[in-house]
Amino acid sequence: MSEEKLATTATRLGLSLDVWAVIASFVLALLVRVGVLKHVPW
Amino acid sequence: MAGSVALPSQEAQNPFASIARFIPGVLLLAAIGFAGKTLEQSINGYAKAHHLVIPNIEYVLWAIAIGLLISNTLTIPKFFLPGIATYEFWLKAGIVLLGARFVLGDVLKLGGISIGLVVLEISGSLLLMTLLGRLFKLRPKLTTLLAVGSAVCGVSAIIAAKGAIDADDEDSSFAIAAILALGAIALVTFPLIGHALHLTDNAYGLWAGLAVDNTAEATAAGALFSDAAGKVAVLAKTTRNATIGFVVLGYAIYWASRGQAEKVKNKGRFLWEKFPKFVLGFLVISLLVSFHVFNKEQVGALANLSRWAFLLTFAGVGLRTNFREMSKQGLRPFIVGALGEVLIAVLTLGLVVGANAIWKL
Repeated sequence: MSEEKLATTATRLGLSLDVWAVIASFVLALLVRVGVLKHVPW
Repeated sequence: MAGSVALPSQEAQNPFASIARFIPGVLLLAAIGFAGKTLEQSINGYAKAHHLVIPNIEYVLWAIAIGLLISNTLTIPKFFLPGIATYEFWLKAGIVLLGARFVLGDVLKLGGISIGLVVLEISGSLLLMTLLGRLFKLRPKLTTLLAVGSAVCGVSAIIAAKGAIDADDEDSSFAIAAILALGAIALVTFPLIGHALHLTDNAYGLWAGLAVDNTAEATAAGALFSDAAGKVAVLAKTTRNATIGFVVLGYAIYWASRGQAEKVKNKGRFLWEKFPKFVLGFLVISLLVSFHVFNKEQVGALANLSRWAFLLTFAGVGLRTNFREMSKQGLRPFIVGALGEVLIAVLTLGLVVGANAIWKL
């Protein structure tokens, strides 16, 4: 059950996997807002 | 996807060493996702250049198919496994960033309809799975895990419930295998049924979000129909995910009352611990977009970041689906799961068609 192991690793890093995902997303959103990430192609 | 990714103790003390272990697998996810995207573009480009009319096969399907091919024909080296498991992380980050594509009005409208349908779906699913589990004489805790997995959010719900009701590893493995196998089937069948019934993007998205159990598969099943349907599927599925704490708490109290699980001392804390925090992240981003904190170009950039995160997720869905491993888990939980899922799919389709008739989705 790799999901469970990943969740354990995330928790060992101090926060749950959910919270790490939220933090990473917010950091990306901040980088977009302040103009560091200007154009993200798709 | 089987395989251990437990951390040695000295690595647990060094976060950088822990993070480095994820890099090979993440690169593999990115390579597969990018290959899927390139295949879609190349085939479309070729068809256009040669005036051929061929159906568009979305990058979602290519990424999943390449992942499936690899995981079911090759032995994936162990050093890839920790990174492959991060598809769950990319899924959640993708959902948070997807909030940029919803203004709060959409969330309230579709989310409001979703909440009503989710309550009906969860009640119906729990009842159906419990009855089927008893009919097929499954172990009671295995029935609980299948019921929670099919009613709320697949693997995450099973893992959350496993701890709360003191279920065996064997039972949770059975339940997870059944839910994953059925999710793989839903990926193929749902878009076909949706197109055959000429469902609108919103109606199909709601259906996929309500009926497909695992969040990654629900997102993929939605995106396989259309981009707009994928968006709605995530919203409906996220609404379902938000109820996880309440359902698991209910079962924890039930099993504790029978002396077969530990009592829940602080119910408020239990609910908060089980609550999927990425739902809050999604709402915050949606709120910021609604209040024009981001300009149009920035909203586009956030939406594209969300698409990239989902691309890694879809590659991971294929890579962790190993039919040989699943078949080892036995047939009975799969039959119960399959019967339940068909009934839940019919029930939720009826709910969505009814909602469509009333609210013109």
